[in-house]
Amino acid sequence: MKFRNIKTIISREYLTRVRKKSFLITTFIVPILLAAVCVLPAFIMGMIEDKGKQIAVVDQSGIVMPFMENSSVATYHDLSSDAPDSLKSHLSELGYDVLLVVSPVDEVERTVHAVSYSVKPISMDVKDAVQSRLDEAVEEYRIGLYEIEDLKTIMDDVESDVEISSYVIDGEGNEAISSSEVYMVVSMALAMIIYMFIALFSGMIMQGVIEEKSSRVVEVLVSSVKATELMFGKIIGVACVALTQFFLWIALTVVLVAGISSFSVFGNMMSDPESMEQMMGMVNMGGMEESIDMSSGGSSMILSTLANMNFGQIIIAFIIYFILGYLLYASLFAAIGSAVENEADTNQLQMPVTIPLLLAFFIAFYAFKSPDSAVVFWGSMIPFTSPIVMLARIPFGVPVWELVLSIAILALTFVVCAWASAKIYRIGILMFGKKTTFADLWKWLKQK
Amino acid sequence: MGMIRCEDVCKSFGEKKALDHVSLDIPEGKIFGLLGPNGAGKTTLIRIINRITIPNSGNVFFNGRPITQEDVEKIGYLPEERGLYRKMKVGEQAMYLAQLKGMTAKEATRELKLWFERFSIENWWNKRVEELSKGMAQKVQFITTVVHKPSLLILDEPFSGFDPVNAQLIREEILRLKDEGATIVLSTHNMESVEELCDNIALINRSHVVISGGVDEIRHKYGNNNVELIYQGNRSLTSLKGVFSVLSDNDDAGRHTAVISLEDGHTGNEVLSEAISSGFSVCGFKELVPRMNDIFIKLVTEEV
Repeated sequence: MKFRNIKTIISREYLTRVRKKSFLITTFIVPILLAAVCVLPAFIMGMIEDKGKQIAVVDQSGIVMPFMENSSVATYHDLSSDAPDSLKSHLSELGYDVLLVVSPVDEVERTVHAVSYSVKPISMDVKDAVQSRLDEAVEEYRIGLYEIEDLKTIMDDVESDVEISSYVIDGEGNEAISSSEVYMVVSMALAMIIYMFIALFSGMIMQGVIEEKSSRVVEVLVSSVKATELMFGKIIGVACVALTQFFLWIALTVVLVAGISSFSVFGNMMSDPESMEQMMGMVNMGGMEESIDMSSGGSSMILSTLANMNFGQIIIAFIIYFILGYLLYASLFAAIGSAVENEADTNQLQMPVTIPLLLAFFIAFYAFKSPDSAVVFWGSMIPFTSPIVMLARIPFGVPVWELVLSIAILALTFVVCAWASAKIYRIGILMFGKKTTFADLWKWLKQK
Repeated sequence: MGMIRCEDVCKSFGEKKALDHVSLDIPEGKIFGLLGPNGAGKTTLIRIINRITIPNSGNVFFNGRPITQEDVEKIGYLPEERGLYRKMKVGEQAMYLAQLKGMTAKEATRELKLWFERFSIENWWNKRVEELSKGMAQKVQFITTVVHKPSLLILDEPFSGFDPVNAQLIREEILRLKDEGATIVLSTHNMESVEELCDNIALINRSHVVISGGVDEIRHKYGNNNVELIYQGNRSLTSLKGVFSVLSDNDDAGRHTAVISLEDGHTGNEVLSEAISSGFSVCGFKELVPRMNDIFIKLVTEEV
């Protein structure tokens, strides 16, 4: 192999892609979207907080109203003296969003019933707030009925609120505070990003190979350079594009978020536990049943968990696994691309390659829940799934020997696959006419 | 000893034999025509010389020693199946291909500018390839094949896609490159170009070399020993008797054009002296050599 030729090929692959409009657009738009995802919930929260719902309360029980404390979600107005029906018909004119009618106390059931009327459906937040106020009022009423001295104090005393604080300990017994929800979110994000990167950029290799073949430029090229030089030059060139995009995204996201924070919205959010929880909740929506139950002080826990996470290790692991995983899949996609003349013909041939990639993504989903289960362990060892599954495991902590073994297996598999792909590629790129089958690929592999 | 020598080259793809013990000598500084019907194995042979395909057996020598990858990288090769990156700009693409041939960016720019001027296509430099017509793209491709001044040029169907004017331009360029000392292998179905350009040819049919040698030599060899005699007068040549027979005699207002077939071992001189001594006024006389086209068809169809 000639380094000079490979360098020329790499620079063409790199420059033509980086100068494309689509590259510029995705490079600049994605960070804006990412920043929006980070900042928008807080921004929206801020907008909503200003106008909490105005709730008109008609308290016919006489026990509820003292408990209706105003909060950021709702402001209560005592309109018990008014007739519910006239309020109902003039609700919005009077400037109220919701009319809450509380029935007189039911002496048998020892409770009240409440009905809410509103022009627009009420949100979960509002309903929860009202519910908890009403519950508290009724509990208080029932406690009073027992006519036991100091019962209220006793009840308060009995009520328990157990908190679990999680710590991870290292070999030397040092503790670090952790929040498993934060691990899940980080783990999922990592698995998704590396999956996207591998699928996107190795797919780009296949398109590139098909382009060279269908435009018939390939025979001119292979008379000047070796087919393997061409293949590896292309793979490395696109890898450089991917890394450029990755680092630009990180840099631009940081700059954008920092820029927006200076408008104080994001800054508020970071210091405000409630919106921080909202944000984590938003990120969490991606398909997990368990909702994140943040206890008081949750945001400080998130922050300290994040601070305790080994970001150096995560970034290094991401880069190593992305590069190796990409190289493996890119060389396989190059071989497939070489065997077809246009993209429509790739469906059948690329199945054996896309299926493990998808499988890896699904195994990674188990990793969020049980990072130490057998399927996840093997998924992080088998080279075709390991880049994605291991990244999902990393935030939970992976023993060094497993990392080393998994990377070694992946690297070795890449070498074998690259060798095999180069053999197929060498012959495939000059084959025209007949539609290629798996039998053909096998024949080319054996051909000297 | 030629610049390129193929010795007993065999190549088969599965059951199908593409080349069967093919031996060839391509002399230095000449234009060598590689002829043959479609599917005869020409492209396979060219790919073997270029080391794109590895033969099952046999050797290719370059200046007397086995050909190496380094030799191949110096060859200027215009494949039959050729194309350019559609989205790339013409100039950038030409630069890329020139650099892959080992030129530095500076050399490549200088030489390419000269060629673009010579073909009067300077204003194409910043156009995208997809904006060019097929013939225009072929011109760019020809330039990228020759820009690094290769000592050996392999041109597979260089005239396809060109209009007659541009085909003539390319023919002139090929001759000019030959004058500058390049050895050129030309694979084409255009027999007129073969007669005009080639010094030597080899005809491959069904994976064998059917005939090879100098173009003139081959044309004479396949001549039927016919001559053409042009004379004036009212008498017809058919009255003459001798070691020949008159195949046809066209009378165009007293100007006759006769095609005469000589018996084996006799020459045109005998016809001429017979005609002159018989009092015919001879205006023209020439040996009739067959067109390459006829030889090609004859050899290829005879084989079947």
